[in-house]
Amino acid sequence: MSLHRQPILIPAIVIGIYMIYACGPLLWLVLSSLKDRQELFSWPPSLFFTPDLSGYRMVFGIGEAAETATALGLTDALINSVVISVSGTVLAVAFGTLAGYACSRFAFPGRDDFMFFALSTRMIPPVAVLVFYHVMFSRLGLSDTRTGLILVVTFINLGLATWIMKGFFDGVPEEIENIALVNGYTRLYAFWNLVLPMVRGGIAATAGFCFIFAWNEFAFSTILATTQAKTLPVKISSATGATGIEWAQICAAGVVLVIPVAIFFWLIRKYLLMGMTFGVLGRSRT
Amino acid sequence: MTVLRLSGLSKSFGAKQALLDVDLSMEEGEVLALLGPTGAGKTTTLRCIAGLEKPDRGSVHLDNRDVTATSPRERDVAVVFEGFNLLPTLSVFDNIAFPLRSPVYRRPEDEVRREVAQAAATLRIGHLLDRRIEQLSGGEKQRVAIARALVRRPRVYLLDEPLSALDLKLRESLQGEIKAMYQATGATVIYASHDYPSAAAIATRMALIEKGRILQCATIGEIIADPRHAAVGRLVGSPSMAQFPAHVTGQGIEIDGLPMRLPGPGEAGGSLLVGIWPEDIELTTRPTDGYAEGRVWATDFRGRDKAIEVRVGSQRFRKVVELDLQAQQGDPIWFRLPPGRVFHFDAATGERIDHGPTRRAA
Repeated sequence: MSLHRQPILIPAIVIGIYMIYACGPLLWLVLSSLKDRQELFSWPPSLFFTPDLSGYRMVFGIGEAAETATALGLTDALINSVVISVSGTVLAVAFGTLAGYACSRFAFPGRDDFMFFALSTRMIPPVAVLVFYHVMFSRLGLSDTRTGLILVVTFINLGLATWIMKGFFDGVPEEIENIALVNGYTRLYAFWNLVLPMVRGGIAATAGFCFIFAWNEFAFSTILATTQAKTLPVKISSATGATGIEWAQICAAGVVLVIPVAIFFWLIRKYLLMGMTFGVLGRSRT
Repeated sequence: MTVLRLSGLSKSFGAKQALLDVDLSMEEGEVLALLGPTGAGKTTTLRCIAGLEKPDRGSVHLDNRDVTATSPRERDVAVVFEGFNLLPTLSVFDNIAFPLRSPVYRRPEDEVRREVAQAAATLRIGHLLDRRIEQLSGGEKQRVAIARALVRRPRVYLLDEPLSALDLKLRESLQGEIKAMYQATGATVIYASHDYPSAAAIATRMALIEKGRILQCATIGEIIADPRHAAVGRLVGSPSMAQFPAHVTGQGIEIDGLPMRLPGPGEAGGSLLVGIWPEDIELTTRPTDGYAEGRVWATDFRGRDKAIEVRVGSQRFRKVVELDLQAQQGDPIWFRLPPGRVFHFDAATGERIDHGPTRRAA
């Protein structure tokens, strides 16, 4: 072994252990979702077996597997989750972008208090306010509706979106708008045509975070969406029926739950770090 | 015709008074240098004129129209900012053409191409028009910014330290180009700078600003003959005015720490600041009657002449002398302040306290 290679070994082992720790359960989940009942309970878990798709058939209600009493039929919940998460993300990013711009550029009275309040919406444990949401939503006829959950998801993400986008706007020199203003353009033009294209990465990162929070949202959905508007995580958690647990089905549902988040993360991977640092890695404001 | 008039302009940012009662007016075709140290309020003044900052008090008139409350796009001024000036998402051509495509200043596209080509030729950047902004050097970027100000022929050009980020050689060549630009177009220009030589090279008149207040606004000749404030002396000249703390005794003015007495009025016991342009200080290398002894503390060779710094105790001044003056670092030197050439300033406020202009040889 050469001297050059030696230092690599220990980090490689550490990283390898971490990879097993991080990816192991995910791999186990994917493998289990493809196993039949017998294969599932063999110990140690087998790596090589004949894939069985009945778990997925039950999840999506396809073929005879769907006839069984324990089949979940997750299609509706999946559609609910997609509609609610996507709409909530779009709304939170749109309003967060506008609010973030305002907080970055205009020193209006109470701005700092507003920013703190916006962040506090993320710090509140959902359980603390659940009851009030429940009452409010029943009165407004929003209980168990997609609209209601879209509002909730927008609410829990808006503060974060505002903060992240403010960070990105702070990284765009104010001179951009000044140049446009003194040369005969409106601020709206400058915002839309000059500043927004410069924070595209920030918008992607913000959308990524918002989508993931929206997709994984559980506490509010459990209480506020009891039948019609049930989202995927809620539906899966309720899969432990009276007649026993269909593990293959639950694992398949888990895989279905992971896939959209994985795809989204993959698409925005290069912007994620920027988002985590609230854009401060960009150039500072001059 | 008066193109620009500022009256009583005041602006504060929190506890910091950025501008205080700034009055200024400019005639058509005039080039005014706004000279002051960093943080004096130059940029704030320009931003108020451009409409990017709203003054707390006072008004801005352009062409006798009160524009204090209007937005920047209705003012017809062009700004070259210090540092960041170009839109990174547009090409050089599109940056220069930017104002001519705006809703307010829109022109037909063939005219835009003609104007851009002409402005680019004036600033010798015709070969750069297809480039992207990040491919340009600092000097090229400032040329593009000046070209963009040029295409529109605005009522007033506001140049905020447009050259301060550049190296000396580039600065001198761009100074020439800015001068050629306004001489060709008869433009009205405000040139903000902290650098006296570049301001003097460009301006027909100078406004000296410090701590948000205009100390004096006059031609360079008038300022030299009659500086209104001690801070004016410190800003003007290269090197700037020599100033000596002094006090008044029964026999006249005595400069602190120097065996030197000047005739002067005033009550005994008062303290003041004696100022004199370095060009007026008389030097000799031999002990001479009526001259005070100092020591050459530093010499800077400047090619055809040299600048020396003379120190006596806590007093000091800089002066440009001939190369053949026999004064090396550490040598003793004798100097005299001719009585008719000195100015008296209040030690506390810096205001001039001897009245009327002092005559000065050309």
